[in-house]
Amino acid sequence: MNARMVRAVVRATAAGVLLVAALALPVWAQGRSRIHAFVEKHCFDCHDTDSAKGGLDLSRLGLDLGDALTFAAWAKVYDRVQAGEMPPAKRARPGHGERDAFLSAVADPLTATDLAREAAEGRSTRRRLNRYEYENTIRDLLQAPWLQIKDLLPEDGEASRFNKVGDALDVSHVQMAQYLTAAEYAIREVLAAQATRPETKTVRYYARDMKSFASKMMFNEFNHNPARATFPVLGFEGQPAIRAGTVALVRPDTDPATREREGMGVVASAYEPIEPKFDRFKAPRAGRYRVRLSAFSVWVGAAKGPKWWEADLNVVARGQRPEPLIIYSELPPRQLRRLGAFDVGVEPTIGQIDVYLLEGETIRPDPARLFRSRPPNPHNPLADKDGQPGLVYRWLEVEGPLVYEWPPAGRTLLFGDLPINPVEGAARSFEVLAPDPKADARRLMQTFLARAYRRPVDANDVERFVGVAIRALDKGARFLEAMIAGYSAVLCSPRLVYLEEPPGPLDGAALAARLSYFLWNSPPDEALKLAATRGDLARPDLLRAQALRLLDDARAQRFVDAFLDYWLDLRRVGNTSPDAALYPDYYLDDLLLDSATQETQLFVADLLHRDLPARNLVASDFVMVNERLAMHYGLPNLDRLGLGVNLRRVSLPRGSPRGGLLTQASLLKVTANGTTTSPVVRGAWIMERILGQPVPPPPPGVPAVEPDIRGARTIREQLDKHRNDKLCASCHLKIDPAGFALESFDVMGGWRARYRALGEGGKSPPGYGKNGQPFEFHDAQLVDAQGQLPEGSKFRDVVELKRLLLRDERQIARNLVRQLTVFATGAPVRFGDRARVEAILDRASSHRYGVRTLVLALVGSELFSRK
Amino acid sequence: MTTSRPPARFTFGPWTPSRRHVLRGAGVALVLPALPWSKAASARDSAPAKARPPNGAAPPRRILAICNNLGLVPGKFFPTQAGRAYEPSPTLAHLQPHREDFTVLGGVSHPDVDGGHPADICFLTAAPHPSSGGFRNTVSLDQFAAQRIGHLTRFPSLTLGVNLGGAQRSLSWTTGGVLIPCEQLPSALFRRLFLRGKKDEVAAQIQRLELGGSVMDAVADQARSAEAGLGARDRERLEQYFTGVRDLEMRLQKAREWEDVPKPVVKVPAPEDPPSPRDYMRKTKLMYDLSRMAFETDSTRLITIMLDSLNSPAIDVEGVEIKDGYHSLSHHGQSEAKLVQLDAIDRAHMKLLDGLLTDLGQVTEGGERLLDRTMVLYGSNLGNASTHVTTNLPIIFAGGGFRHGQHLMFDRERNYPLPNLFVNMLQRLGIEADRFATSTGTMRGLETV
Repeated sequence: MNARMVRAVVRATAAGVLLVAALALPVWAQGRSRIHAFVEKHCFDCHDTDSAKGGLDLSRLGLDLGDALTFAAWAKVYDRVQAGEMPPAKRARPGHGERDAFLSAVADPLTATDLAREAAEGRSTRRRLNRYEYENTIRDLLQAPWLQIKDLLPEDGEASRFNKVGDALDVSHVQMAQYLTAAEYAIREVLAAQATRPETKTVRYYARDMKSFASKMMFNEFNHNPARATFPVLGFEGQPAIRAGTVALVRPDTDPATREREGMGVVASAYEPIEPKFDRFKAPRAGRYRVRLSAFSVWVGAAKGPKWWEADLNVVARGQRPEPLIIYSELPPRQLRRLGAFDVGVEPTIGQIDVYLLEGETIRPDPARLFRSRPPNPHNPLADKDGQPGLVYRWLEVEGPLVYEWPPAGRTLLFGDLPINPVEGAARSFEVLAPDPKADARRLMQTFLARAYRRPVDANDVERFVGVAIRALDKGARFLEAMIAGYSAVLCSPRLVYLEEPPGPLDGAALAARLSYFLWNSPPDEALKLAATRGDLARPDLLRAQALRLLDDARAQRFVDAFLDYWLDLRRVGNTSPDAALYPDYYLDDLLLDSATQETQLFVADLLHRDLPARNLVASDFVMVNERLAMHYGLPNLDRLGLGVNLRRVSLPRGSPRGGLLTQASLLKVTANGTTTSPVVRGAWIMERILGQPVPPPPPGVPAVEPDIRGARTIREQLDKHRNDKLCASCHLKIDPAGFALESFDVMGGWRARYRALGEGGKSPPGYGKNGQPFEFHDAQLVDAQGQLPEGSKFRDVVELKRLLLRDERQIARNLVRQLTVFATGAPVRFGDRARVEAILDRASSHRYGVRTLVLALVGSELFSRK
Repeated sequence: MTTSRPPARFTFGPWTPSRRHVLRGAGVALVLPALPWSKAASARDSAPAKARPPNGAAPPRRILAICNNLGLVPGKFFPTQAGRAYEPSPTLAHLQPHREDFTVLGGVSHPDVDGGHPADICFLTAAPHPSSGGFRNTVSLDQFAAQRIGHLTRFPSLTLGVNLGGAQRSLSWTTGGVLIPCEQLPSALFRRLFLRGKKDEVAAQIQRLELGGSVMDAVADQARSAEAGLGARDRERLEQYFTGVRDLEMRLQKAREWEDVPKPVVKVPAPEDPPSPRDYMRKTKLMYDLSRMAFETDSTRLITIMLDSLNSPAIDVEGVEIKDGYHSLSHHGQSEAKLVQLDAIDRAHMKLLDGLLTDLGQVTEGGERLLDRTMVLYGSNLGNASTHVTTNLPIIFAGGGFRHGQHLMFDRERNYPLPNLFVNMLQRLGIEADRFATSTGTMRGLETV
């Protein structure tokens, strides 16, 4: 038997397999002969057992669509043929009729299979709350927005790029133990904050009285560097006598007017070893506080002698510009949370922010624009021959804990109106006085369950959890301990932890939960639960009204932030840091990193709230920036924009490369590694996340191309070799173009015409990094940002690339809907869901695919309203 | 004044030495039993019970992690040759009797852990940027392991320290990035390990564990009732929950049993606490001795020790007069006078380590040296305390049944990730882990025997 005969037999056998299997699988029944004919004519030359090009052997491809791999293979066959990529251009093309008949013969069984599975089990798998949702759930239930729960729980598994998919949200004993830990922690913290009515006090803390300010003032054996010292200021003048040690820093007889004019200054931002904080203040308990801080910017004289970049801390004058100040809370040792930011003017400025603090937290301000003095011999990059900028703190005033209601909701939920007394001599220990412990336990538990659960509570549940408390009481536990055990049980029980969604159309309670965990990333509030109980959510108009209400609530930002953390990997934005030698101008720049993250969050929130077209994700005529970002982006007329530390919307000049997600610093950072960029990594990321065209992973055993930071060869030159290989090229032609255009942006998203390099062969530009170290990098080759899309269109740079991508607005919107669908429903858009996605797009097309319209259309779709 | 505290841990969390924590139930000191093999009498006076594993049980594996936060003078520490035939450096000369029992690592660091001194709290967590805004620490190696094997011993882990003063720092951090305060008093550590706990503390602990068990019963009951009518995939998810609950219940039960098991009896008297921070080296030696005894009695398998050199004054070192504070010496600026003192301190450290390895080598357990079952990680968060750099960390990795006797020299310009070693260590403990923090795999060139 010669080779040709063998192939003929194989084909015949394959056809037989197709037929036999098809008979056994009714979904294929209608189209099997059409498929057979088409495959025989157009595919087997390459995709039979002998050739199996691209790893696809159609003669061996089974028909059991219940098998995930088989299903995926057929879906890929469909997509390649539908896109006109197969059969390849050089082969005979099927006629339209022939092709369409084939496509529907493949599509019908795929769709039927998906729908059958949906009918039986639903699109999604039962899932537990992820740690973001769990934190929000406990916060909302106990009305304690300050609770920090998320980091107590293990990191969640992800599937389809989100932490919302049941199949990846595992539970182990570690998870259970941490649920229990978190639940008990939350209850005890709320109790400690709310057991007794706090006295709201307003206390002022003068910078001079703070040990961490005062102790850094004098030079000592470890420090003779003025950048690492604080300095005293009266009015706008230095106080040499105090620095010389001849006059005390703090004198008991200072009159109030003078005291008001005293301050302590710095010329560096907060970083080891100079991290002044208002350490005499420690939040007496968790809750809401109003923080006021009085400060102003100054200009500090230059040291005499050759080292003019060092400050003469005796010579102080009025500042030349405002300074951004970031306010952190700090829990020793060094656990920091960003609370807010404001601009400090050249006149004494009182900045005020309302914040939540945890018990024991203190306040640490950071004048973030100033430099950070890393050894050896740091040189302040902001210094000139006349001096350098600095910031002077006068005082911090804290008002709190602010009490808006008494008794507070959390305490009432936990213990009703039972009296709570502190236990003498034991900190954070309380006694709840229950006149009739068992009856009280039952009453409290009923209320608690009704609030905690998203569905009506059944009697078994009450018994189950009251039982925990009563057994504890019987064993001699105190009422408080017994109730904490009972409540903890509720907070880690399946009905709280898992979203209960039976297959088919979701009932009111399930729909309410899905809606709120979508648009708030949080549990339903009482209004939504009530609407669900009334049956409102079954009516499209009322469901839509609830969705609008949720979107207009402040909690919608929880959705935006959580969505972006996964969709765009924003949670990883700080995972790598800009290389200290290559990018000393970004290294240690927390202000830039913070601003970049906020930009993306505010940008997407803006599209959502203003219902701007999805095309803005690729290209917008505005950005959300503060001064730091505007500088980073090289926006013109910075002075006229009057920007400070907080971000706002700014229109872009025509022809600007900025606008849209692709050119935001956060994304350009997330897709780089701190040292180098790769068009392949960025290209693949953009294709999948923004354009919705995921690329297959690289074949095993292919080493990644390592960029060369000595500047000898560009990444592009290295890749060209790779792309000339026919096998590699088939994918790289799709992956790389977007990445090439983004080569114009460095690891932090700054524009570059040339790469930077280290080592021999170049002269470093003059300048010093944020860390005070001289630039070591030098300019290397020119960036080549041009490229060609797979269909042939060419672009010269990112501006032209964006223009090309905007030709298919619907695809940008389609991708957004697909991503939202995973987030909202816990399952990816499958083959059988495609028609529903198109219907959503149709509904939104008259609004130019407005983001809000798309969200609402998704909520109104069967994708959303069925499991 | 109140300060924040670690949340209560139902799990096999740290042994929190603070009495207040235990009393108010805000720190579960899950106190765990001595295993059967810890009851045999010891041949050595100081050694209470010779560890001997029961037939068929997997041999215990342990970790002792020590961070000296001012490190060792790099010029005298790192050998110049790589591989097995390396010439010992002046500092390492003191460890030559154990040459085949340890590996020196060069060119390693924690990726993106910068910021100088504050990096000590990241020595076992590898959480990036400890000095930067918004920093929160993450789980440390020992606590990650304690969650998985902590239930096997009376103490899931021990967190120790020397000379931290009132500073709230240690090497051990929970999953939530919450600090576990360290025990600094040898006498208190001895009491915890070998003397019976106070009655009311024990009672509170038992109540807590029993409540935990009761909670697990209730949620398991609900899970069972919820299973009816679910599709196969949904049911599989709920089964997994159920298994998680049962596994935790079993661990709570085991912890409960420890309360009835008497603590091991030792023949050495309780140590006296050296009174002054100058006694740094004596304190360190006591912590090493007690760590060895804790392993010998299988009281725990995970110990961390932070040696807070930064916070230490001029310390007493035998045979040498130390004139300057430890931190001041570390910024030696190439001053010969300071370098001589620093060198004496580094050598004293190596002598203590020599003693520890010798002691661990003399105890046998199931026919093996205790050293072969104990991974000793000794090192620092600083590569060079004089310049505050956090790259090129000095690391000694000893024992644990690895093929040692080599200098693993990685790229000093582009460091190799130290968290890779942590993955080896976890796997050696029998924990299925393929990554930890910023690891990229297991450590190249490190093999088990």
